[in-house]
Amino acid sequence: MPAPNLQPRVIDPANRTSLAWTRTAVAFAAIGVAMFKLSPVAGVVVVALSLPIWAVNHRRRGSVEVPSSPRRLRLVTGTVVIVALAALTVAIFGHSPDSLGQLLRAR
Amino acid sequence: MTRAGDGHESPHDRRGEAAESPGPGTGPAEAEPAETEPDPRFTMANERTFLAWSRTALALVAAGLGVVQLLPPFPGVPVGRHVVGIPLIVLGAVIAVAAYLDMMRNQRALRRDEPLPRSLLPRLLAATIGGVATVAAIVVLLSATR
Repeated sequence: MPAPNLQPRVIDPANRTSLAWTRTAVAFAAIGVAMFKLSPVAGVVVVALSLPIWAVNHRRRGSVEVPSSPRRLRLVTGTVVIVALAALTVAIFGHSPDSLGQLLRAR
Repeated sequence: MTRAGDGHESPHDRRGEAAESPGPGTGPAEAEPAETEPDPRFTMANERTFLAWSRTALALVAAGLGVVQLLPPFPGVPVGRHVVGIPLIVLGAVIAVAAYLDMMRNQRALRRDEPLPRSLLPRLLAATIGGVATVAAIVVLLSATR
Protein backbone atom coordinates (compact mmCIF):
# COMPACT_ATOMS: atom_id res chain seq x y z
CA MET A 1 0.00 0.00 0.00
CA PRO A 2 1.20 3.56 -0.66
CA ALA A 3 3.01 5.53 2.00
CA PRO A 4 0.81 7.33 4.57
CA ASN A 5 2.30 10.79 3.79
CA LEU A 6 0.26 11.07 0.55
CA GLN A 7 -2.63 13.51 0.26
CA PRO A 8 -5.83 11.78 1.46
CA ARG A 9 -7.64 12.33 -1.87
CA VAL A 10 -4.94 10.31 -3.62
CA ILE A 11 -4.66 7.47 -1.11
CA ASP A 12 -7.78 5.56 -2.18
CA PRO A 13 -7.06 5.68 -5.93
CA ALA A 14 -3.46 4.76 -5.15
CA ASN A 15 -4.62 1.77 -3.12
CA ARG A 16 -6.98 0.68 -5.89
CA THR A 17 -4.16 0.97 -8.42
CA SER A 18 -1.83 -0.97 -6.17
CA LEU A 19 -4.44 -3.72 -5.81
CA ALA A 20 -4.95 -3.76 -9.58
CA TRP A 21 -1.21 -4.36 -10.06
CA THR A 22 -1.33 -7.12 -7.46
CA ARG A 23 -4.32 -8.77 -9.18
CA THR A 24 -2.48 -8.60 -12.48
CA ALA A 25 0.62 -10.25 -10.99
CA VAL A 26 -1.55 -12.96 -9.39
CA ALA A 27 -3.30 -13.54 -12.74
CA PHE A 28 0.08 -14.02 -14.43
CA ALA A 29 1.21 -16.43 -11.71
CA ALA A 30 -2.07 -18.38 -11.98
CA ILE A 31 -1.83 -18.82 -15.73
CA GLY A 32 1.83 -19.79 -15.27
CA VAL A 33 0.84 -22.54 -12.84
CA ALA A 34 -1.86 -23.73 -15.27
CA MET A 35 0.63 -23.74 -18.14
CA PHE A 36 3.13 -25.64 -16.01
CA LYS A 37 0.90 -28.71 -16.30
CA LEU A 38 0.96 -28.52 -20.09
CA SER A 39 4.53 -27.35 -20.62
CA PRO A 40 6.81 -27.04 -17.54
CA VAL A 41 9.29 -24.70 -19.26
CA ALA A 42 6.61 -22.27 -20.45
CA GLY A 43 4.94 -22.42 -17.04
CA VAL A 44 8.14 -21.56 -15.16
CA VAL A 45 8.84 -18.67 -17.57
CA VAL A 46 5.35 -17.21 -17.08
CA VAL A 47 5.49 -17.55 -13.28
CA ALA A 48 8.92 -15.87 -13.35
CA LEU A 49 7.47 -13.03 -15.45
CA SER A 50 4.86 -12.36 -12.78
CA LEU A 51 7.60 -11.40 -10.32
CA PRO A 52 8.78 -8.21 -12.10
CA ILE A 53 5.14 -7.14 -12.44
CA TRP A 54 4.63 -7.52 -8.71
CA ALA A 55 7.99 -5.81 -8.07
CA VAL A 56 7.03 -2.81 -10.23
CA ASN A 57 4.08 -2.14 -7.94
CA HIS A 58 6.05 -2.86 -4.79
CA ARG A 59 8.85 -0.46 -5.75
CA ARG A 60 6.39 2.30 -6.57
CA ARG A 61 5.00 2.46 -3.04
CA GLY A 62 4.98 6.03 -1.77
CA SER A 63 5.63 7.61 -5.14
CA VAL A 64 2.19 7.55 -6.76
CA GLU A 65 2.44 11.23 -7.64
CA VAL A 66 4.93 10.22 -10.30
CA PRO A 67 3.07 9.59 -13.57
CA SER A 68 3.15 5.98 -14.81
CA SER A 69 6.18 5.20 -16.84
CA PRO A 70 5.43 3.75 -20.30
CA ARG A 71 8.26 1.27 -19.71
CA ARG A 72 6.36 -0.35 -16.83
CA LEU A 73 3.24 -0.64 -18.93
CA ARG A 74 5.21 -2.01 -21.86
CA LEU A 75 6.50 -4.70 -19.49
CA VAL A 76 2.92 -5.86 -18.85
CA THR A 77 2.00 -5.71 -22.54
CA GLY A 78 5.18 -7.55 -23.55
CA THR A 79 4.55 -10.22 -20.94
CA VAL A 80 0.98 -10.83 -22.13
CA VAL A 81 2.25 -11.12 -25.72
CA ILE A 82 4.97 -13.57 -24.62
CA VAL A 83 2.38 -15.63 -22.71
CA ALA A 84 0.12 -15.62 -25.79
CA LEU A 85 2.97 -16.76 -28.04
CA ALA A 86 3.89 -19.52 -25.56
CA ALA A 87 0.22 -20.56 -25.39
CA LEU A 88 0.01 -20.57 -29.18
CA THR A 89 3.12 -22.78 -29.38
CA VAL A 90 1.70 -25.20 -26.79
CA ALA A 91 -1.68 -25.20 -28.55
CA ILE A 92 -0.21 -25.96 -31.97
CA PHE A 93 2.78 -28.15 -31.15
CA GLY A 94 1.64 -29.57 -27.79
CA HIS A 95 2.32 -33.17 -26.81
CA SER A 96 -1.23 -34.48 -27.27
CA PRO A 97 -1.60 -36.99 -30.12
CA ASP A 98 -4.33 -34.89 -31.70
CA SER A 99 -2.45 -31.57 -31.54
CA LEU A 100 -2.74 -29.36 -34.61
CA GLY A 101 0.86 -30.12 -35.56
CA GLN A 102 0.19 -33.88 -35.47
CA LEU A 103 -3.06 -33.49 -37.39
CA LEU A 104 -1.39 -31.41 -40.09
CA ARG A 105 1.51 -33.89 -40.32
CA ALA A 106 -0.95 -36.78 -40.65
CA ARG A 107 -2.57 -35.08 -43.64
CA MET B 1 -12.04 4.82 -18.31
CA THR B 2 -12.52 4.20 -14.63
CA ARG B 3 -14.10 7.18 -12.92
CA ALA B 4 -11.74 9.19 -10.77
CA GLY B 5 -12.77 11.42 -7.93
CA ASP B 6 -16.32 12.74 -7.95
CA GLY B 7 -16.39 13.34 -11.69
CA HIS B 8 -16.85 17.10 -11.46
CA GLU B 9 -13.27 18.09 -11.99
CA SER B 10 -11.20 18.83 -15.00
CA PRO B 11 -8.13 16.63 -15.31
CA HIS B 12 -5.99 19.71 -14.75
CA ASP B 13 -7.66 21.47 -11.87
CA ARG B 14 -5.13 20.54 -9.26
CA ARG B 15 -1.60 20.28 -10.49
CA GLY B 16 -1.93 23.03 -12.96
CA GLU B 17 1.75 23.72 -13.53
CA ALA B 18 2.33 24.30 -17.21
CA ALA B 19 4.68 21.73 -18.60
CA GLU B 20 7.31 22.41 -21.19
CA SER B 21 5.03 24.66 -23.19
CA PRO B 22 6.60 27.97 -24.04
CA GLY B 23 4.38 30.96 -24.61
CA PRO B 24 2.73 31.78 -27.92
CA GLY B 25 4.94 32.45 -30.86
CA THR B 26 8.03 30.86 -29.42
CA GLY B 27 8.79 28.27 -32.08
CA PRO B 28 7.72 24.77 -33.05
CA ALA B 29 5.78 24.20 -29.81
CA GLU B 30 3.25 26.73 -31.08
CA ALA B 31 1.59 24.11 -33.30
CA GLU B 32 1.44 21.49 -30.53
CA PRO B 33 -1.27 21.81 -27.87
CA ALA B 34 0.09 22.72 -24.45
CA GLU B 35 0.55 19.71 -22.17
CA THR B 36 0.23 19.70 -18.40
CA GLU B 37 0.56 16.78 -16.04
CA PRO B 38 -3.00 15.63 -15.19
CA ASP B 39 -4.34 14.87 -11.74
CA PRO B 40 -2.70 11.66 -10.49
CA ARG B 41 -6.16 10.21 -9.86
CA PHE B 42 -6.96 10.37 -13.58
CA THR B 43 -3.59 8.90 -14.46
CA MET B 44 -4.13 6.07 -11.98
CA ALA B 45 -7.66 5.44 -13.31
CA ASN B 46 -6.19 5.22 -16.80
CA GLU B 47 -3.55 2.81 -15.51
CA ARG B 48 -6.16 0.62 -13.79
CA THR B 49 -8.18 0.46 -17.00
CA PHE B 50 -5.06 -0.66 -18.85
CA LEU B 51 -4.39 -3.32 -16.21
CA ALA B 52 -8.02 -4.53 -16.41
CA TRP B 53 -7.69 -4.92 -20.18
CA SER B 54 -4.39 -6.76 -19.68
CA ARG B 55 -6.08 -9.20 -17.30
CA THR B 56 -8.89 -9.66 -19.83
CA ALA B 57 -6.26 -10.45 -22.46
CA LEU B 58 -4.63 -12.94 -20.11
CA ALA B 59 -8.01 -14.57 -19.41
CA LEU B 60 -8.61 -14.94 -23.16
CA VAL B 61 -5.21 -16.60 -23.59
CA ALA B 62 -5.98 -18.97 -20.69
CA ALA B 63 -9.42 -19.74 -22.11
CA GLY B 64 -7.96 -20.47 -25.56
CA LEU B 65 -5.29 -22.71 -24.10
CA GLY B 66 -7.89 -24.49 -21.96
CA VAL B 67 -10.12 -25.14 -24.99
CA VAL B 68 -7.23 -26.56 -27.03
CA GLN B 69 -5.56 -28.62 -24.32
CA LEU B 70 -8.25 -29.59 -21.82
CA LEU B 71 -11.45 -30.17 -23.81
CA PRO B 72 -11.96 -33.67 -25.22
CA PRO B 73 -11.75 -33.81 -29.04
CA PHE B 74 -14.97 -33.16 -30.98
CA PRO B 75 -15.91 -36.40 -32.75
CA GLY B 76 -15.85 -35.92 -36.51
CA VAL B 77 -14.29 -32.43 -36.31
CA PRO B 78 -10.57 -33.06 -35.69
CA VAL B 79 -9.51 -29.41 -35.71
CA GLY B 80 -12.61 -28.22 -33.83
CA ARG B 81 -10.81 -27.30 -30.60
CA HIS B 82 -8.12 -25.39 -32.47
CA VAL B 83 -10.65 -23.45 -34.54
CA VAL B 84 -12.24 -22.25 -31.29
CA GLY B 85 -9.17 -21.87 -29.07
CA ILE B 86 -6.51 -20.32 -31.32
CA PRO B 87 -8.54 -17.16 -32.18
CA LEU B 88 -9.00 -16.58 -28.44
CA ILE B 89 -5.24 -16.73 -27.87
CA VAL B 90 -4.57 -14.39 -30.81
CA LEU B 91 -7.28 -12.00 -29.57
CA GLY B 92 -5.56 -11.97 -26.17
CA ALA B 93 -2.30 -10.79 -27.74
CA VAL B 94 -4.09 -8.18 -29.88
CA ILE B 95 -6.01 -6.81 -26.90
CA ALA B 96 -2.82 -6.51 -24.83
CA VAL B 97 -1.15 -4.35 -27.50
CA ALA B 98 -4.33 -2.35 -28.23
CA ALA B 99 -4.81 -1.66 -24.51
CA TYR B 100 -1.31 -0.18 -24.30
CA LEU B 101 -1.92 2.05 -27.35
CA ASP B 102 -5.31 3.09 -25.92
CA MET B 103 -3.74 3.93 -22.58
CA MET B 104 -1.09 6.13 -24.21
CA ARG B 105 -3.71 7.90 -26.36
CA ASN B 106 -5.89 8.54 -23.31
CA GLN B 107 -2.94 9.85 -21.32
CA ARG B 108 -2.00 12.22 -24.14
CA ALA B 109 -5.60 13.48 -24.29
CA LEU B 110 -5.60 14.02 -20.50
CA ARG B 111 -2.34 15.96 -20.71
CA ARG B 112 -3.78 18.19 -23.45
CA ASP B 113 -7.15 18.55 -21.68
CA GLU B 114 -8.87 17.14 -24.76
CA PRO B 115 -11.88 14.75 -24.84
CA LEU B 116 -10.84 11.12 -24.46
CA PRO B 117 -10.70 9.28 -27.79
CA ARG B 118 -13.22 6.49 -28.36
CA SER B 119 -11.81 3.05 -27.78
CA LEU B 120 -12.21 0.26 -30.32
CA LEU B 121 -11.47 -2.40 -27.71
CA PRO B 122 -15.03 -3.10 -26.48
CA ARG B 123 -16.28 -3.52 -30.04
CA LEU B 124 -13.30 -5.67 -31.00
CA LEU B 125 -13.82 -7.88 -27.95
CA ALA B 126 -17.59 -8.20 -28.50
CA ALA B 127 -17.22 -8.96 -32.21
CA THR B 128 -14.52 -11.58 -31.70
CA ILE B 129 -16.25 -13.30 -28.80
CA GLY B 130 -19.49 -13.33 -30.85
CA GLY B 131 -17.60 -14.84 -33.80
CA VAL B 132 -15.88 -17.46 -31.65
CA ALA B 133 -19.20 -18.38 -29.98
CA THR B 134 -20.79 -18.83 -33.42
CA VAL B 135 -17.91 -21.01 -34.60
CA ALA B 136 -18.10 -23.04 -31.37
CA ALA B 137 -21.83 -23.61 -31.89
CA ILE B 138 -21.21 -24.75 -35.48
CA VAL B 139 -18.43 -27.12 -34.35
CA VAL B 140 -20.67 -28.61 -31.63
CA LEU B 141 -23.55 -29.07 -34.10
CA LEU B 142 -21.25 -30.63 -36.71
CA SER B 143 -19.79 -33.06 -34.19
CA ALA B 144 -23.29 -33.97 -32.94
CA THR B 145 -24.54 -34.80 -36.43
CA ARG B 146 -21.57 -37.02 -37.32
